[in-house]
Amino acid sequence: MNYLSASKSQSNMFAGDLKAPTIAVARTRLMFGVFFFLVAFVVMGARTVELGMSTPITAKQTIARHIEVPATTVARADIVDRNGEALAINLKSSSLYANPKMISNPEAVAQKLNEILPSVPRAGLLQKLKSGRSFVWIKRKLTPKQKWDVNALGVPGLKFQEEEDRLYPHGRLASHVLGYVDVDGNGIAGVEHYFDDQLSNSNRSGEALQLSLDIRVQYALADELEAAMRAHRAKGAAGLVMDVNTGELLALVSMPDYDPNNISGVSDDELFNRASKGVYELGSTFKTFTFANALDDGVATLEDGYDATKPLKVARFLIRDDHPKKRYLTLPEIFAFSSNIGTAQMALDIGSDRQREFMGDLGLLNPAALELPEVGAPMYPASWRKVSTVTISYGHGIAVSPVQLATSIASVVNGGSLNAPTLVRTSAAVQSQRQVISQSTSRQMRQLLRLAVTKGTGGRADARGYRVGGKTGTAEKASGGGYDRKSLISSFVGVYPMDDPQYVVFALLDEPQGTKETFGFASGGWVAAPVVKNVIMRTAPLLGVLPKWEDEGLYQKVALMIDED
Amino acid sequence: MRKAFTAFAAVSAMISGAAVMQLKLAVQEQADEVEVLAQQIHNDRENIRVLNAEWAYLTSPHALQEKSISFLALMPPAPKQILGSLDDIPFRIKGDAVDGDASVLLPSAMTKKKNAPKQKASKNKERAL
Repeated sequence: MNYLSASKSQSNMFAGDLKAPTIAVARTRLMFGVFFFLVAFVVMGARTVELGMSTPITAKQTIARHIEVPATTVARADIVDRNGEALAINLKSSSLYANPKMISNPEAVAQKLNEILPSVPRAGLLQKLKSGRSFVWIKRKLTPKQKWDVNALGVPGLKFQEEEDRLYPHGRLASHVLGYVDVDGNGIAGVEHYFDDQLSNSNRSGEALQLSLDIRVQYALADELEAAMRAHRAKGAAGLVMDVNTGELLALVSMPDYDPNNISGVSDDELFNRASKGVYELGSTFKTFTFANALDDGVATLEDGYDATKPLKVARFLIRDDHPKKRYLTLPEIFAFSSNIGTAQMALDIGSDRQREFMGDLGLLNPAALELPEVGAPMYPASWRKVSTVTISYGHGIAVSPVQLATSIASVVNGGSLNAPTLVRTSAAVQSQRQVISQSTSRQMRQLLRLAVTKGTGGRADARGYRVGGKTGTAEKASGGGYDRKSLISSFVGVYPMDDPQYVVFALLDEPQGTKETFGFASGGWVAAPVVKNVIMRTAPLLGVLPKWEDEGLYQKVALMIDED
Repeated sequence: MRKAFTAFAAVSAMISGAAVMQLKLAVQEQADEVEVLAQQIHNDRENIRVLNAEWAYLTSPHALQEKSISFLALMPPAPKQILGSLDDIPFRIKGDAVDGDASVLLPSAMTKKKNAPKQKASKNKERAL
């Protein structure tokens, strides 16, 4: 103030009258500035209050944009079945290691660890803990429960290493479909290998791969095949359940199988997929295709017949019947009693070129287009001679995989449209369908297949109420240029319900032995047909197929042509 | 007057400053809480994956069958046990018979509909009488 007044008095001396208005002007200007800031503060204050009072909905929206839940990333996508049941899942797992230098009393720790981890031997554990090293693995990939228990011990020298582990909750079930992964998580077999890029693609992480399998059906089939395999002391077994109209596989089983959770020490025989990689001469089931061919081309009608009184001589081979009737047989009889002689004559009427073309149309001469790396190529003669025509008509001299057979059977019964087999859940519309036989031929084939069960060799597959149709197949294994009468491939292919086909069920047993229950027989009708029957009885209620007492009239006309003696 | 004005300005500036500071701290606190919740959701999701795997293991068809054999006497249903429609149930009173029987109580919505024409009929009867 003093300085100001001093300067005032000083300026008075120089400025004189100018002093008073200058200060007034400066004060007015200052007041403008103050007023401006005041207004600005009032506006800001009002705005703050307004924001505070505003509805919380807008506030939530602005916040929601910033909330980020860390995504659950997995190195490999899950695999689920058609109902969303987990088949393969990647989990964070912990591996236990120890720093023995930090453990004061190894004996007590070894004792306690052994109680938690019984698979780790106590002596070896003690030796590890007593070693003077600073890092020893105790066990890789502990379960969450084991990890909890180890943590509860509170021993300072025990530590965990976080890892990711591929887990197959269903163990052996569907192992041949799923395949397995190596230690680094790369798919080695099955769909794990086929879809390796898709599964390990980090951009699509979290998007599970949905298969067409139904784990319940898979189990029913695996259970029945295993029981039959044990009962008949067979070397192996294979089977599948396929949706007739879409080509989707609901179950694909190969025995013996393996546990994909632990693949050390698994033999090649266990890894071998008999259902898709294995090709077999399947025997009489091929008569279905010969009949479909003859009926569709008009070579023969259901009213025709062939003479089967004595064995047929073709070139230097003699064609015999397993169940000789030694008389003239009608077409339905030839099919129901599975006569080789009758079928062979029909094939000769069809001709070699046309037979080969028809087999090609059904996809039996090309490997199945299945989403597995393990797909077997069919074997058939390079030059399709007369003898080949005859033997192929009843399923010898041509070897195909069970998947190929089921695909072709499905096309024969579903009205004639061929669907590629698939292991991935698809909608029917996506499927590329190709017409191979006419609707009416398909209807006749359904009648024949049903009668082969009600009156013919497939009687043991008749799951009453489910209208099963099917064909038995028994082939002798080729060995050393000839056929071994003792070692058989016995199979049965069934379709149900026959008045509106929905599912193909196939069962195959590799070298089954006859038992007291089967009176020593090991043919398809004795060993494989009951498997198909049991599988249908177990799975039809799950798949929503209604049991019905059938309309005999559907088959009457054809049934009358079968003379049972 | 001017002094009072200056004092008011100073006080209001301090109050609003404090208020904004407090608001900022509150928002910070909320944001921290949100972050903790997000982390918790993430952990829960990881745990759900583990539980899903365990559930799949415990309910695999083989395990269920073992349990069923040891604790229940369940068998796959026989075709005879499965009925396609209500008409297949034997000795079941058919729909018409129930409607005609006055002793059977029907839901009110149904009885109203049924009664409507009857009332008319009874009125007609009265007239006739």
